[in-house]
Amino acid sequence: MADGQFVIIDGNELSFEEGETLLQVAARADIEIPTLCYDERLSPAGACRMCLVEVEGSRLMQPACSFKATGGMVVRTQTPKVERNRRFLLSLHMADTEQDRERAEDANPSRIFDLADVHGTAGCFPKVEQKRSGRPQDVNKFIEFRPERCINCSLCTRYCEQIEAVSAITLAGRGAETTISTADAKSLTDTTCELCGGCVAVCPTGAMTEKPALAYGKPEKELEKIRTTCNFCGVGCQLDLNVDREANRIVKATSPPPGTTVNDGSLCVKGRFANDFVHHEERLTSPLIRQEDGSFREASWDEALDRVVSGLQGIADRHGEDALAFISSSRCTGEENYLFQKLSRAAFRTHNVHQCAAT
Amino acid sequence: MTNSIPEIRDADFLFVTGSNTTEAHPIIAMEMKRAVARGAKLAVSDPRAIWLTEIADWHMQLKPGSDVWLLNAMAHVIVTEGLEDREFIERATENFDSVRETVLRYPPEEAEKHTGVPAEMIREVARAYAGTKKAGIYYTLGITEHTTGTDNVYALSNLVLMTGHLGVRSAGMNPLRGQNNVQGANDAGATPVFYPGYQSASDPDVRDKFSKAWGVEQSSNPGLNLNQMMKVLGTDLKGLYLMGEDIVISEPNVGRVEEALNHMELVVVQDIFFNESCRFADVILPAACYAEKDGVFTNSDRRVQRVRKAVDPPGNARADWQILKEIMDRSGLEQPDYQHPAEIYAEMASLAPKFSGISHERLNADPKGLQWPVETPDAPSTEYLHKNGVARGKGLFQAVDYRPPFESADPEYPLVLSTGRTLYHYNAATQTRRSEGLSGKQPECFVEVHPRDARRLGIEDGQMADVVTRRGRVRSRVMVSRQVRRGAIWMPFHFPDTKTNALTTDAGDAVTGTGEYKVCAARLEPRTEEQPEQVFPGAYAAIRV
Amino acid sequence: MLPKNARREEVLDRLEEQGGLKPGVVQRVHQETGVPEADIYGVATFYHLLAEPDVEVRVCQGLTCKVLGSEALMRDVQSTGTSACYASCLGRCDQAPALWRAHHQEPPLHTGLTESHSGLAIDLENHKKYKLKALQKLLAQGPDWVLGQLETSELTGRGGAGFPAHIKWRAIRGQAETERYIVLNADEGEPGTFKDREVMLRRPDLVLEGLAIAAKCLEAADIYLYIRGEFQGPKQAMRDALTRLQETGLLDGLNWHFVDGHGAYICGEETALLEALEGKRGMPRMKPPYPVEKGFRGKPTLIQNVETIACLPAILRQGGEWFRDLGKTEAGTKLYCLSGHVRRPGVYEVPMGSTMAELLDQAGGVDGNLKAFSPGGASSGFLPASEVDIPMDFKSLRDAGSMLGSAGVVVLNDTVDMVEASLMQAVFFEDESCGQCAPCRIGTQVIRQTLERYLESKDVAVLAHLNEVMWGMGEASICGLGQAAYWPLQSAMKYFPQEFGLEADSAND
Repeated sequence: MADGQFVIIDGNELSFEEGETLLQVAARADIEIPTLCYDERLSPAGACRMCLVEVEGSRLMQPACSFKATGGMVVRTQTPKVERNRRFLLSLHMADTEQDRERAEDANPSRIFDLADVHGTAGCFPKVEQKRSGRPQDVNKFIEFRPERCINCSLCTRYCEQIEAVSAITLAGRGAETTISTADAKSLTDTTCELCGGCVAVCPTGAMTEKPALAYGKPEKELEKIRTTCNFCGVGCQLDLNVDREANRIVKATSPPPGTTVNDGSLCVKGRFANDFVHHEERLTSPLIRQEDGSFREASWDEALDRVVSGLQGIADRHGEDALAFISSSRCTGEENYLFQKLSRAAFRTHNVHQCAAT
Repeated sequence: MTNSIPEIRDADFLFVTGSNTTEAHPIIAMEMKRAVARGAKLAVSDPRAIWLTEIADWHMQLKPGSDVWLLNAMAHVIVTEGLEDREFIERATENFDSVRETVLRYPPEEAEKHTGVPAEMIREVARAYAGTKKAGIYYTLGITEHTTGTDNVYALSNLVLMTGHLGVRSAGMNPLRGQNNVQGANDAGATPVFYPGYQSASDPDVRDKFSKAWGVEQSSNPGLNLNQMMKVLGTDLKGLYLMGEDIVISEPNVGRVEEALNHMELVVVQDIFFNESCRFADVILPAACYAEKDGVFTNSDRRVQRVRKAVDPPGNARADWQILKEIMDRSGLEQPDYQHPAEIYAEMASLAPKFSGISHERLNADPKGLQWPVETPDAPSTEYLHKNGVARGKGLFQAVDYRPPFESADPEYPLVLSTGRTLYHYNAATQTRRSEGLSGKQPECFVEVHPRDARRLGIEDGQMADVVTRRGRVRSRVMVSRQVRRGAIWMPFHFPDTKTNALTTDAGDAVTGTGEYKVCAARLEPRTEEQPEQVFPGAYAAIRV
Repeated sequence: MLPKNARREEVLDRLEEQGGLKPGVVQRVHQETGVPEADIYGVATFYHLLAEPDVEVRVCQGLTCKVLGSEALMRDVQSTGTSACYASCLGRCDQAPALWRAHHQEPPLHTGLTESHSGLAIDLENHKKYKLKALQKLLAQGPDWVLGQLETSELTGRGGAGFPAHIKWRAIRGQAETERYIVLNADEGEPGTFKDREVMLRRPDLVLEGLAIAAKCLEAADIYLYIRGEFQGPKQAMRDALTRLQETGLLDGLNWHFVDGHGAYICGEETALLEALEGKRGMPRMKPPYPVEKGFRGKPTLIQNVETIACLPAILRQGGEWFRDLGKTEAGTKLYCLSGHVRRPGVYEVPMGSTMAELLDQAGGVDGNLKAFSPGGASSGFLPASEVDIPMDFKSLRDAGSMLGSAGVVVLNDTVDMVEASLMQAVFFEDESCGQCAPCRIGTQVIRQTLERYLESKDVAVLAHLNEVMWGMGEASICGLGQAAYWPLQSAMKYFPQEFGLEADSAND
């Protein structure tokens, strides 16, 4: 903390560290300042103007996301002017994107409406002609960009550049035509994009959305989120499986908010998009036993389990228990691996148990 | 990992070796990129120009298998220039002198001849590493999948010990685990040498403890590791139980494995798909996948986190833990009536002090999980190890000398083949290949060849070619790329139609048995007859040079 | 995050070299610079001269050209089968309606000028041989003397902001960082403005000497001249003059970098200009930090308009007091551009604070009956004929709710419909908004659309939300463009309410 340095926000004397922004100082004191284009992991853009607050001595309101605190600064975050600006912006964004909440949230939730719930609007402005172009010809299977929902907050492009560091997408065009594009508007699959879907995760309006979930057709709000651990690499990312309970179906995976888990709001292409296998038609659904002719037939669990146990026991009897080998998988849970080695060591008294574990 | 993933973003120096982090551990790579964006220095040692090298300060593009030369030469610079942390060496380590003596025989100029890395670069990196406090080493299979894997790890740990980069935030020695629960499977004792919680299977007291706990006298015969098992399949071994592992794709020299599997009396495969190994199975048991069951996974930084059931398994498939309990019951080893994996975890925790403070209840309360060791119910997570000295008392230096890989390039097989992972697929690809979007991005196998080698062999980018080693021959599409060194070729192993592991050697590391997937001698034969259409020309747009 | 070896600053130049955004160009520039393809594409699409490489002719639709017949001109051009598009303002309001041909040697322009005399700081008609006397004086007297003269002169920025020059200079001299830059802002694009064009064409030596003085005084070695892309003639004049002056040896130790603008009005905003210099999309930065502290490449940077810089030699030669006393209400003489319904459009140098009536005299009087004028570029809005005696200086115009801006004075006679005039300005701002912040990007669209709807329907109800939108643009936009983009409309509604179907009072809130 800067020694004896304070800012006064809404009458509260708050200490701060050199270089901290008003938004950071306020957040620590639980003073909520609404934002649409802010993400603590990214450099501030100051573009959405939702976080404007009054700073004494400054003619214009200042963006809390990027305005640095200095000693003695007096800041107000809830004046009529500040609130009027918030309502103005929300009405403006709705006019530019979508004014009907249900339509706006047909797939992903929209932060515009969440904020409108809190701050209200300045009424229904006339709908603005939409000039942003999309990429309807993009053949990638995961990420859909819906330009009519885009508020040009640049969270997606900043995420792509600063966190994922692939710079596959960019702000393109100018003015009202500003849109999100790839180089030459190519398909994402033809660019440096690694399909991590971070653009979807940071998008506040559902302009970036998941193609498969969009096709499924059920809004995210109607899905149940189950927090779990990703089953691919060894990072242990936490993810939320969004489940349609009635249909017993995973519709998509989303990342928990930044700052809450080891993956800090990110996921990779596999964690976010490679859950198709769960509901794949080729899943094994019944125990199978090999027949004399070499083909398999379906069997009951009882029969299959007995066959396994008698087979293992037969070998132990004939060749000794060390003629058995148990190979487990790092894909299974800790509990299962515990039971598996217990099966090997206790039920069949052999230490011939291992798994693929080179690192 | 001695340290934690979230600490990476605060590191000031990163030494990434034998890890294509961007593709194999994308989220850890993001943390590395954040560190670099903050101003951290990045040194990458890898035979390939992997993506990270674009933002690296140094790329040490060494010849495959020459790691010990490189690492010992770095140590040489440190000890000859007096950059070692004497206080730490004195207080927390033993056997430094033997390493000192050894590495003195590895001057950077000599190393340049063996590794191809300029001596001056070796010096710069060694100085930067030794001179930075928050300096972490990150490695993965490029270090371990060698016949000298253990040597490589020792050489790295010598660097860590002599510079005192241990017990410090954002530093340490950090193997990145390749699979979601490699750590957890080892923790749980799915390894011949350890009971749960790294209690030695060769220790009679430990065996006693488990004999009592499980009510079964424990065998004193040493168990076989995976590499050893593969070599005695069908001879010493007659019965094989595979739970979630597709050895026919993932093991080296699979031709021999397949042959041996035909001589087994019983092969049980428990999996979620009809995988390649199922072709040799007698019984196949349908299992639930991770989204259909409860439990825990333990990640690279020893973080135990919950897995939660989201949907019901398809048809009659069952969770592995339910199947295993049934089998034990039927084998005459009646198990407690587990209602939920939380009870199984509690049983393991009661037998393994490292985890005894962990329970599902605590994990449910903390979205960041718990990093072991956590020995009591109120003990905190252990972010980084060796905070108060080195765990085994004193850190042991292990002098290692360079040994060549099992195979080197020769006139008949003039190229060196390495294998590895890509971003878009995962291991045997049983899961990822069933994603239309991923297969679309990367539909088929490829072999990376340096433009000069390609020209010499008369091979065009996108053409089909046979990759041939002493063990096998597979056909693959050629990608001409500067990602690989001259004389080196690289292939992923994810694609069942292109059995990359029919090529690799099963010569293993003497200690761990890990196969040498990273080095074998190979040659390339262009195929001119049929050229199947490239499914998706843009698939590799990003990495083509 | 850029690859370690990427060279972003080269991107715009390379794009231009390759003929703009044509197939394969993004990839080639990527290979040449190491900058990610998407970034290159994002940059290319921001600048109209790069984004539309196949357009041969640009027809100006700035206010002056529009009222003097750009639509008819466009029809003529298109009838010959030439590919043409409208451009916001070509900086040729004195030639209205104007057009510009890509890759075409432009003929010298004839424009109205003030006759040469000794009471002028710039004196566009002075053809005497140039001697770099001011620079020699600086070398003899030292930087502190220069700063003293600058302060005494009360010279303010002539680009539009009117900020005292000596404060910027002192701020830079006070920086601990010794890597510093001088940037000439010659991206003249404010509708109604063409004075920098004339200064560079007629007095390039003044500009170059001024820059050299700034560089020596602020201990900078590198000077960047960011010149509007359409100004090939002025740029050549500057280059020729530089060659001449360099022969004196007095400019030794200075590195001169000519950089082309690529068709984005917003790059006249100093931080947007810096972004362009760095090879990025020209979107204004958030301030603070200001360029004097963190400018080009994050280093202290002096950015000054052509006219401001051109005042320096006279100030040093004749003294700060002399310059200050030239003005009537504020310091110095000032270049005013007059266009529209005047008999002799041109660039007139008169004492700062001369009245609008005096300026009209210089330009040969109004063509028709004066109805309104826009005193200082699009952002200054409109003033009615009744304000013809207002002193044309920074303060007086600010007090009148307008601004001097770039002193691009557009004169309108009573044939002009003020709703249509407001729409012309609205189209300009919508086209030139960088799109970064919502109030400006969407607000300019709302204004343009509303005016179109009103012209179509003459229904006052369509104006319902305008006041709220104008308020928000003024309060919440990042830069001056958005903050002032509604002024034409607001002032038109204020002074000509009946044309908007409003009672005189209701528009005046």
